[in-house]
Amino acid sequence: MKSWKMILVVFVLVLSQILAACGAPAATATEAAPPATEEPTEAPAEPTVEPSPTTPPEPVDIELWAQATVTEAGAPPDDWIAYDVIREELNINLTYVIIPTGEDGEAFINTAAAANELTDLFQAVKANNDNRGALKQLVDLGLVAPVDDLLPLMPERTKTHYNDPLLNSLVTFDGKLYGLAEPPPLPRREGLVIRKDWLDKLELEVPTTPEELLAVAQAFTEQDPDGNGKNDTYGLGGFINGEGLGNRFDFITGAWGLPGVWDFSAPENFGLVVRNEKYPEALAFFKSLVDEKVIDPDWPTLKRDDFRARWKQGLFGIMWEDFAALTNKSNYEPFDTNFPDAEWIPVASLTGPQGDSYYGVYTGRGNIFAVSQTAADAGKGEAIARLLEWIATDGYFLMGFGEEGKNYIIDENGDISTEGLPETEAYSAPERQPFTQMRNQLVFYNSEQEIKARYPTYETINGRTMEPMKFLQFFQSQPWTDGRAVQAILPLANAADFDRFYDEGMLQFVLGQKELNEETWAEYLAGLDALGAADWEASAKQALIDAGLLK
Amino acid sequence: MLHSRTRDAVFFQIGLAVFLTLILLIILIPFWRVIVTAFIPLDIYTRDGVPFFLSPTQWTAEAFKQLLGHSLFPRAMWNSVVITLLGTAISLILTVPLAYGLSTRNLPGRKLIMTLVLFTYLFSPGLIPVYLLITGMKLTNNYLAVILPPAVSVYNTLVMMSFFEGLPEDLKEAARLDGANELQVLWNVILPLSKPILLTIGLFYAVYFWNEFFTPILYLKDSDLLPLPVLLRNILISASFNEYVEYDAFSTSSLESLKAAGVLITMLPMLFIYPWIQRYFTKGTLVGGVKE
Repeated sequence: MKSWKMILVVFVLVLSQILAACGAPAATATEAAPPATEEPTEAPAEPTVEPSPTTPPEPVDIELWAQATVTEAGAPPDDWIAYDVIREELNINLTYVIIPTGEDGEAFINTAAAANELTDLFQAVKANNDNRGALKQLVDLGLVAPVDDLLPLMPERTKTHYNDPLLNSLVTFDGKLYGLAEPPPLPRREGLVIRKDWLDKLELEVPTTPEELLAVAQAFTEQDPDGNGKNDTYGLGGFINGEGLGNRFDFITGAWGLPGVWDFSAPENFGLVVRNEKYPEALAFFKSLVDEKVIDPDWPTLKRDDFRARWKQGLFGIMWEDFAALTNKSNYEPFDTNFPDAEWIPVASLTGPQGDSYYGVYTGRGNIFAVSQTAADAGKGEAIARLLEWIATDGYFLMGFGEEGKNYIIDENGDISTEGLPETEAYSAPERQPFTQMRNQLVFYNSEQEIKARYPTYETINGRTMEPMKFLQFFQSQPWTDGRAVQAILPLANAADFDRFYDEGMLQFVLGQKELNEETWAEYLAGLDALGAADWEASAKQALIDAGLLK
Repeated sequence: MLHSRTRDAVFFQIGLAVFLTLILLIILIPFWRVIVTAFIPLDIYTRDGVPFFLSPTQWTAEAFKQLLGHSLFPRAMWNSVVITLLGTAISLILTVPLAYGLSTRNLPGRKLIMTLVLFTYLFSPGLIPVYLLITGMKLTNNYLAVILPPAVSVYNTLVMMSFFEGLPEDLKEAARLDGANELQVLWNVILPLSKPILLTIGLFYAVYFWNEFFTPILYLKDSDLLPLPVLLRNILISASFNEYVEYDAFSTSSLESLKAAGVLITMLPMLFIYPWIQRYFTKGTLVGGVKE
């Protein structure tokens, strides 16, 4: 009995100690920062801005909520040099909070919004990437302040980051700019690629039409292109990513001029692409790929990671892939190890029977930042603009790459390099990732110098030069449909029902579960209309006209 | 007749054994696959996928090295341990008196208190009021933000109350006759007899706090305070979005291996605790369920 009590008493004592220490162990950035006189911090690589005459005497506290570039790396430490520079040069005490991605991020923002506790500057987050929709919801609630007045306070950033009128119009409501639409991640970064070593072995040419694609896919499936003596390859591989058959097969419907879900080819054509009489022809071609068994049969259910494991296993020879997922050294290495003699090359947009040729739809969804009404009411707008302008100018290298000479150097060609730097200090090292967490959210704007640094050239196991930039440039040079306006289209009230009918119907036609003929296609369209397709098209068209996006 | 009955019993036993073996396999096969996936080398995974068996020379702990060697791992593990221990302790400290009070039949206003307790079980206040309460109490970036809201589980209180009600009333009465007040009765008589329920309910709380994921995201904005499940999720998100994050694909394991290793890492501590208190488990949850 005594020992029982003794344990309990000791436990309570320990508990009280833990309780006393259970608050945040670290002080805030402001508290943790050593006084400049005691321990001077290293000067930033580039000269910083002169304090403007309007700099208020008291530091302004700015809290920023943004997603991380590398979620696993965590936030920068409290003694991050950038905090010191921002405080000393801009008179701003910055608190940087990393918010979660996806549904958790959406819940995080929505909870704070519902409690009217949105922070000063924050990223609008929606699990389905409808960031504009997330912003509009907050604007409707009166929680977000207009930012028109801030743009003149950050002229350089406006030039490099907020220079796209279309993106700006997407974050404009009732004539006021409410969002800071950051440049989208590299646009048009995905494309069609083919195994050149397989083509060479079978003495085939790169396909240029759907029919040629089918023929090459058949050869890849039936003629043992990897020479292992087994019938274990497919011509084509893929997975469904998005509505209908997904954007990864847009290169097929694009050959009939109908990529994506909406027809943006001309204002008079605007509507769902399935309305177009050529759409069943495109589907019939897709069906022929399935019927001929030249596509990896798991494509309807395959997940992205499994798909990527499969091309690295050499299962298929034609696919649609993100340039970085394919060519970045770390992503390419497993494939290179398995098949050192193999080579993927980009394929140009296929030309359809009527001469149509589209690679895909470019939707240009990027990050959107907003200033809370609370921050605006507290007079923090000018300080926020000062911070953002600094990130785009004097703070650009510090926030995107680290300190010059320590984490990066500028070589004789003007390129960013890590040559001669200690491995763990290079900006690209895992250890350095916490220090550049804002780079994909608020820093990078896709300049050539930046892209070169982000996607460096390297040598494969066999000494072949791999240039990710070449793939990117090729993909970007293809004919894409500008579908950025799609962000202004609100989802249907019964979107779940509509999407299910749309997706399943399309899949049934392609898999042969439902016969594809005029009658069944008309039934399919009638089914969509019964779920509100026609009304949705009308409202979408009106929304685009209202936003000035359908001209 | 007797022979037939014996034969029936044997068939029943065989049938039962087959059935239980099947159930065991249904549980073990996915678990085995998780283990193989966690230990599979990247080159084999990218070449062959996940086989059912790996030869002993092929096993690699690379995924574990990557997760356990992550610079934030020790801190996240510490946070999880503190949240779990502190949360379990606070929960038990709050649950025991409540359950004991409610188990006392002559407690004035017992019905009203019980109604109020059950009311919170049936009607949750929802996320926003709790968020306002936590931020109003300035508890953001404090472990208590994660610990206090779920500190008293009504379900666990009722289970514990039921256990207390099952203890012989005579023992309490004897202590009262010796001059003990209710606190002394609880301390000197009830608690020493309640090891099974304390361990059982403690385990319930510990598992809950160990796995707690969303509230840390909501209230612990300082990434130094985030617990293990959040870190593991962040690592997996990074690994699955590596095409957008140009030079961060540092993984020497496949995403699937990382996921599987993450599952095992988070599961193991609880897996070790269960057998230790298993003998109390049934007793703790069932005693008091049936009254004489």
